[in-house]
Amino acid sequence: MEITVTVNGEKTEADIEPRNLLVHFLREDLRLTGTHVGCDTSHCGACTVLLDGLPVKSCTVLAVQTDGRDVTTVEGLAQNGELHPIQEAFKEEHGLQCGFCTPGMMLTSAALLEQTPDPTEEDIRWALSGNICRCTGYMNIVKAVQWASSKMKAEATDSGS
Amino acid sequence: MSETFADIPMIDARERVTGAIPMTIDQAMPGMAHVKVVRSPVPHGLIRSIETSEAARMPGVRAVLTGASLAELGVDPYYGGLRNDQPVLAIDKVRHEGEAVALVVADTEAQAEEAAGWIDVDFEELPFVTDAREAMTPEAPPIHDEWPDNDCGTWRLRHGDIETGWALADRVYEAEYTSPPASHVPMEPHVALARFEGDVLEVWTAAQAPYMVHTALKKTFGLPDERLRIKTFNLGGGYGAKGGVKIEPLVACAALAAGCPVRLVLTRPEVFNTLGKHAAHIALRTGVKTDGTIVARRVRAVFNAGAYAVSSPLGAGQAMTRASGPYRIPHVWIDSTARYTNTVPTGPFRGAMTSQLCWAYEQQMDDIAHDLGIDPIEIRRRNLLSDGDEFITGEKMHDVHFDELLDDVTEAIWSRGPADPAPAGRARGRGVAVMIKSTLTPSRSEARLRLDDDGMLTAFCATVEMGQGAGTTLMQMTAAYTGVPIERITIPLPDTFQAPFDTTTASSRATFSMGAAIKDAARKLKDELAGLAEEHLTTTAGELRFEGGTVFRAAAPERAVSYADLLREAELPALEVEGVFQSEGGMATLDPETGQGQASVHWHEGAVAVEIEVDLQTGKIEVLNCHGACYAGRVISPTRVRQQNEGNIIFGLGQALFEELVYDSGQLVNPNLSDYMIPSILDIPKRLTSSAVESLEPDPDVHGVGEMTIPCIAPAIGNALFAATGVRIHDLPMTPERVLRALRAREEAS
Repeated sequence: MEITVTVNGEKTEADIEPRNLLVHFLREDLRLTGTHVGCDTSHCGACTVLLDGLPVKSCTVLAVQTDGRDVTTVEGLAQNGELHPIQEAFKEEHGLQCGFCTPGMMLTSAALLEQTPDPTEEDIRWALSGNICRCTGYMNIVKAVQWASSKMKAEATDSGS
Repeated sequence: MSETFADIPMIDARERVTGAIPMTIDQAMPGMAHVKVVRSPVPHGLIRSIETSEAARMPGVRAVLTGASLAELGVDPYYGGLRNDQPVLAIDKVRHEGEAVALVVADTEAQAEEAAGWIDVDFEELPFVTDAREAMTPEAPPIHDEWPDNDCGTWRLRHGDIETGWALADRVYEAEYTSPPASHVPMEPHVALARFEGDVLEVWTAAQAPYMVHTALKKTFGLPDERLRIKTFNLGGGYGAKGGVKIEPLVACAALAAGCPVRLVLTRPEVFNTLGKHAAHIALRTGVKTDGTIVARRVRAVFNAGAYAVSSPLGAGQAMTRASGPYRIPHVWIDSTARYTNTVPTGPFRGAMTSQLCWAYEQQMDDIAHDLGIDPIEIRRRNLLSDGDEFITGEKMHDVHFDELLDDVTEAIWSRGPADPAPAGRARGRGVAVMIKSTLTPSRSEARLRLDDDGMLTAFCATVEMGQGAGTTLMQMTAAYTGVPIERITIPLPDTFQAPFDTTTASSRATFSMGAAIKDAARKLKDELAGLAEEHLTTTAGELRFEGGTVFRAAAPERAVSYADLLREAELPALEVEGVFQSEGGMATLDPETGQGQASVHWHEGAVAVEIEVDLQTGKIEVLNCHGACYAGRVISPTRVRQQNEGNIIFGLGQALFEELVYDSGQLVNPNLSDYMIPSILDIPKRLTSSAVESLEPDPDVHGVGEMTIPCIAPAIGNALFAATGVRIHDLPMTPERVLRALRAREEAS
């Protein structure tokens, strides 16, 4: 089946099997391997990407469902080589260890901050409750989202918006 | 000389936040096909026949393999390590549900999966056993003919004279504690790729021990070193799940059979079927004086090895040395055994064996304290090991800091004054636990340093980066020991064609052992550089210094000459040196009758204190505050040590409160992340802190810190539960149901 999907700002046309999952389309066809698969059952959240700006688990979305829509993966977070504040935050606050869950964590967090620029700790915990991390113990992940929130607010103030 | 270390972030943090960090699961080999495995639906059975002809005719199929057809490939079909009892594919019989019985190689994963569904296996079911203590009985079905009584490894320790101990005791306490099987759940599943390139077998794998895979595949294929190349990438978590050899022989056999490169990525249920944590039954009998001094302890530990040995023959022995806790006890009797059962094979699980034992001895410690009317912290203080004390193995303890660890964690939780009163319908309590653990001994690490004439240094080592930050830590150590600035150092990913031998990245040994090997290599490098620099350093006054990639005498820093210039002058394109760390002693050297000897090169030390709240209506435990501490010898990165301590605690919180592999009729019924829950961000304490105790010595052993708090978390919570409610849970996990039943039983009794 022919689809046209915008992935990380780039319009892509593809002929894909209807049975293919979005995560396989991203990883195998487009070789965007930053989106990881951890469980096959939509529990771990490692495969989270943004579909029209909202986080979805790409192992639970058929690739054909993205026809005419916008997909953002971890590879699309940085702009012109400059890290997105959420990426900077996970780096600065050590919100990661092995890095397998990190892309999904960051995309879910980015969507949260888009909707709730100044989240409480409770907001952050609820937003990330579908993303599992086995390494870090989560404490620094919460700090990273708070760090990104501050940074994004400061940037918004600086640019006068 | 003592080096200084800055708390720098992980060198590859940028790659980790951009999704660019290379992991095995992201790799592809040109022209590769895909492997799918057919697994046994029965826990124990004879294979009557396997019908593969339909599958072989399916579209895209390149090869179908069974245990019987392995012989035609000319490979040695058994692997394992300690005991080579595990077939690449089941031969004649299956020993656990989920065991690999056949495999299919096809052009696409979908084709391989489709074809695998057409393989028909006819089993004759046999009686099965899933409990290790039942497996010891004469009625139990034999799982391996060559191992009577399903014995997978039995050890004994006799220290002092236990009868004298009982005679000395004013009171004797006896209780039993159990831990269920559990799963490591690394977020990245097991994955391996293999191909034959000319006459070289190349395997890329998500493994913690490239050289254990190397050793295993040498045996499988009878290959010399130069024809076998193992590469690993960054691991998406390991925790023991990816130790030793796992799917690599199967994947390499698939490549051989298909005649093309292949890849196998395990599904999550398959990961659950590959390796688990030892379920354990610990019977503990302890004799004490009325002042709380422990005079005698008997431990009977039974571990469930699952269907294949993996590391259990040794693990049961390591458990023995860790069974009596961090205490000074003159009379000790320990029997520790691992038994085969028809369940998923078990192996090292972060804090290997120690968690199951600490759950027992630290809870009993509080029961003893309570009964004698002694404060739980005080009773520990009276018994904790100190430097110079004799341990239960007879070795003299050194580098022992249990008192400081206990002070540190209790200070963090108790110094905040009495617990706030709990809301109505809830109860609050505090608890503490301390643990001791050996590290893998003997073991060996080798490192090779190559200094090029442009001043760049490459450190070749087979330590695996799995998120713990070993790459960064070893790079910092390399910089400190060689005097080469960190930005001029590269540590390539492990590749057995380049990196020399290393036992494994496990048992919290990498920083200690590989760090020591790098230090040894750096010393040789500096010796060579000093020789080359002789004519430049006109003075012999002052200490020879190696800093900023230059060498000079402290008295004449203006005469500094760069390493690059020295090499170029000598017309040396590169200088290469190798360093070695080798520890001696260990389990094989202990007296088999008494377990006396040197069990570990040094001992791991950790402690945790918690404050919890229990919902008396639902039995749910919530951890409010938690503090963990480890002994680190020397801290390289405070941030990464904290991450290890805190990540440990949350990892262990899962096994403390809800993680359990459930077997019904020999079937593992929850091999997925829906039915087997691991801690999410909603399960973590509001306040979680940690610290590391360092040595005051000028040049102490750098201790690993990967598993120092995990064994303590469950008993600390158990003790807090007892403090809060007076109920004692003996069986993990402490689920709401279990807590509620205990609360009700106590109500009914009173």
